[in-house]
Amino acid sequence: MKPPPVSITCTDLTLRFPVYGVDAKSLKKALARVTVGGRLGRHSGVTDVTALQGVNLKLEAGDRLGLIGHNGSGKTTLLRALSGAYEPDEGTIEVNGRIAALLDLGLGIDSSATGYENIRLRGRIAGLTSKEIDERMDEIAAFTGLGPFLAMPVKTYSQGMQGRLAFAAATAVEADVLLMDEWIAVGDAEFQKLAHKRLLKLVERAGILVLATHEAPLLKLYCNKVMKLDGGIASEIMDIRRIDELLAA
Amino acid sequence: MDSATHMLRTGQRGTLFQLQMAARDLRNSFGRIGLAWSLAWHDVASRYRGSILGPFWITLSMGLMTLGIGFLYANLFNIELHIFLPYVALGIVFFAVMTGTINEGCDTFVQAAGMLSQTSLPMFTFLWRTVFRNLINLGHHLVIVIGMLVFYGYWRTANVPLALLGVILMVLNASWLSMLVGIASARFRDIPQIVISVMQFALFMSPVFWRPSKFGDYKAFLDFNPFYHLLEAVRAPLLGTPVEAQSYIVLVAMAVGGWIVTFLIFARTRRRIVHYL
Repeated sequence: MKPPPVSITCTDLTLRFPVYGVDAKSLKKALARVTVGGRLGRHSGVTDVTALQGVNLKLEAGDRLGLIGHNGSGKTTLLRALSGAYEPDEGTIEVNGRIAALLDLGLGIDSSATGYENIRLRGRIAGLTSKEIDERMDEIAAFTGLGPFLAMPVKTYSQGMQGRLAFAAATAVEADVLLMDEWIAVGDAEFQKLAHKRLLKLVERAGILVLATHEAPLLKLYCNKVMKLDGGIASEIMDIRRIDELLAA
Repeated sequence: MDSATHMLRTGQRGTLFQLQMAARDLRNSFGRIGLAWSLAWHDVASRYRGSILGPFWITLSMGLMTLGIGFLYANLFNIELHIFLPYVALGIVFFAVMTGTINEGCDTFVQAAGMLSQTSLPMFTFLWRTVFRNLINLGHHLVIVIGMLVFYGYWRTANVPLALLGVILMVLNASWLSMLVGIASARFRDIPQIVISVMQFALFMSPVFWRPSKFGDYKAFLDFNPFYHLLEAVRAPLLGTPVEAQSYIVLVAMAVGGWIVTFLIFARTRRRIVHYL
């Protein structure tokens, strides 16, 4: 059976985060609430924060969507929702294709483990089998440029070296849908150039890119569509050439 | 609905739908059971990195505790050493696996917060990680078990298949308890402290260091202790003593009942767990 073409569809996606304050987490309060019938204290319910409100989104292969918006406007939440971590409160999210979320490069990095072990672990989390990781190991190791350091614990690495390792491991995946929170730039000038090329290749191979960033020049470079989020409410998807209208709005 | 190349998340509610999604989570976790295993191995390897004995350190300390308690109590209670020492040794090893699985269950989801908030990995994967990690520890402690059985000649009468059945029942029961405290701890941060205290209490209330035969008229007290049955189902066959049919009934009923309750709670809270963290 041929898999359906790569796509992302969100319909009327609404996401609310219940805020469990320090208070609400206390077992005593919760128990007291049960025993006295839910009338204790002023906040008997849990406060909700609406992070996304009625977002509609339809992307197909070849779409490179840039997400813009102020801090806290819901960009990262939308990316996380697209990665499958959150269940919507209303509406649906449907993604066809293998998803790679490069949201947090540090994900699964264990600083007491060696570089090789971290590459392995990261690969396993991303869904690669041991065999696939073995096949890619040489290429990933070569790309990090860390040579013999890969056999040393990551805590002995400099910040830049850690960045190289995490980047190489995280980008060793095959993905149809690439989710990125800010264009990743790690390492020294030389490595940044290499990393840039690798990311571009990954983006080319992936059918869809969703990139959240504040930098308009980056968007103009990599994206062909743009959407603005404001307080969890999404604008319509526009052609990248109209980005200035959105920024001005 | 969910596969490597297809993901669907909806705001649909309803008991049936939530049960379906919980079942899907469980199924997907079996599909990626290798990941849980890798994570568990990684946990063990990284906890003991740089130490010479590694997990055998706990084995060593358990061994010493066994010898100390064994010799002391054997004299206090006037029990022969060849009876009491293996009894205590097996008790300590298997009770530690139970305690470990349940206590570490408190951290299952809290520890996985990073992964849960940016991937679509099944929740159950992290339960299996905790369970596997404790089974790997048990693997190390088997040195004590086998050593005792061989040294005191119990291997001739040990009923290994029956003991394996006991281990399976133990794991089935410890894992639902682990899952339950995992969900509860994610929501209420008081739970881990309570769980640790309860397990400590259970250790002294259960026949780990003492023999039930000392109980006489108060045997009923033991019958209501689930940990007694859990321990007996593994230990008794290895020491060549019979297990009461009642123990198996309790264990099977507990496993079925416990899993049903845990699964229902999981179905209800599944979509919220990531927000608790």
